[in-house]
Amino acid sequence: MPTSIFGPYTRTIFTGAVITGLLLFSFTYARVGVWIEVQPFFEWMETTWFGVIGKTWGAAFASIQAIHLIGLALLGGSVIVGDGRVLGLILADVPARTIIDRAHKVFFWALMTLLATGIFMACGVAMKLYYLPVYWYKMLALCTGVFFHFYIRKPLLQRELEDINPWLLKAVGVSSVMIWFTVAATGRWIGFSG
Amino acid sequence: MDELIYNFAVWLDDTRWSAMLHESYYMYNWVESTHVMTLMISLGMLFLIDLRMLGYALPDVPASKIAQKLSIPMAFGFTVMFITGISLFYAVPVRSAQSVWFRVKMVLLVACAVNAYLFHKRMNESVSSWDNDARAPSRIRHGAALSLGFWTIVVICGRFIAYDWFDCDYDQSGFIEFVAGCVPGQERF
Repeated sequence: MPTSIFGPYTRTIFTGAVITGLLLFSFTYARVGVWIEVQPFFEWMETTWFGVIGKTWGAAFASIQAIHLIGLALLGGSVIVGDGRVLGLILADVPARTIIDRAHKVFFWALMTLLATGIFMACGVAMKLYYLPVYWYKMLALCTGVFFHFYIRKPLLQRELEDINPWLLKAVGVSSVMIWFTVAATGRWIGFSG
Repeated sequence: MDELIYNFAVWLDDTRWSAMLHESYYMYNWVESTHVMTLMISLGMLFLIDLRMLGYALPDVPASKIAQKLSIPMAFGFTVMFITGISLFYAVPVRSAQSVWFRVKMVLLVACAVNAYLFHKRMNESVSSWDNDARAPSRIRHGAALSLGFWTIVVICGRFIAYDWFDCDYDQSGFIEFVAGCVPGQERF
């Protein structure tokens, strides 16, 4: 990476470029070629054990959905506490470093739970998802969230908060909350579509 | 009792606003989405408080501070959940009133409320002696574990309401008919 050109902002600029690239790719005709290419993968997903279990046992699928919701609750809690502290709205009298680091641990395990249960659920209804625009919006929001969290928010907040422009901190906190609520909203809307 | 609940649900179902809410694609889905998404605020905060007491989350933050500060967004979240939950019931009253999962969920919500009351009472009585400990005393931990368990089952029941496995318009066992409160000869589901 050309660190000498962009200095300490290399990672932020690189991540911003990746997210912009993802958005451009998603909202232009370029996506159609890839969309057709990945169809066999979605067909294969339905033939996996996860796919067969998800399609055969409704109770198993519904139970995994419930665990997905619990993961979502935990993720929401960690985002609200972590970003709430960044914004100075929650636990403002506790050192920010403590809250941010501890909330990140909860966030990480919540995200792992969401990914594991999400993959299982996707296998059960893979072809339905393949044809749903809102599913692809969710994936776009999820990728944006993961890139944003691990490559922009986390490295930025590892610096001393006093050294960071307060408006940048506010922008990061608000963006984080908005991205993860968008992920949740698009995910919920999958259930209403198709 | 079952007939009384059924008749009340039918009366609600006949009201104009119930039909409007149920038949409005966007309004119903917005209410349901809000109900589910408020999980991130209400249960998110509650789980963090419970996990703090068990020593799994934010162990180096005073327990009383976590419980006190997170209670505010949690109360907001539960208020929105309560309002949207009543709206969802109002939109589909007959089927909801005779759903096994809905009934279990309601009983568990009462259990959650009692547990939360006892949890806070016990915590306020003794928190000064263990506020900075990574794990709360066993009595408090039991309350937190119960809370996590109850709410997990509440979420599972809430999710299962959408499925029609035990609906009264199918042939069900006597036990299910009893728990669901199916009324012999009922015409509406």
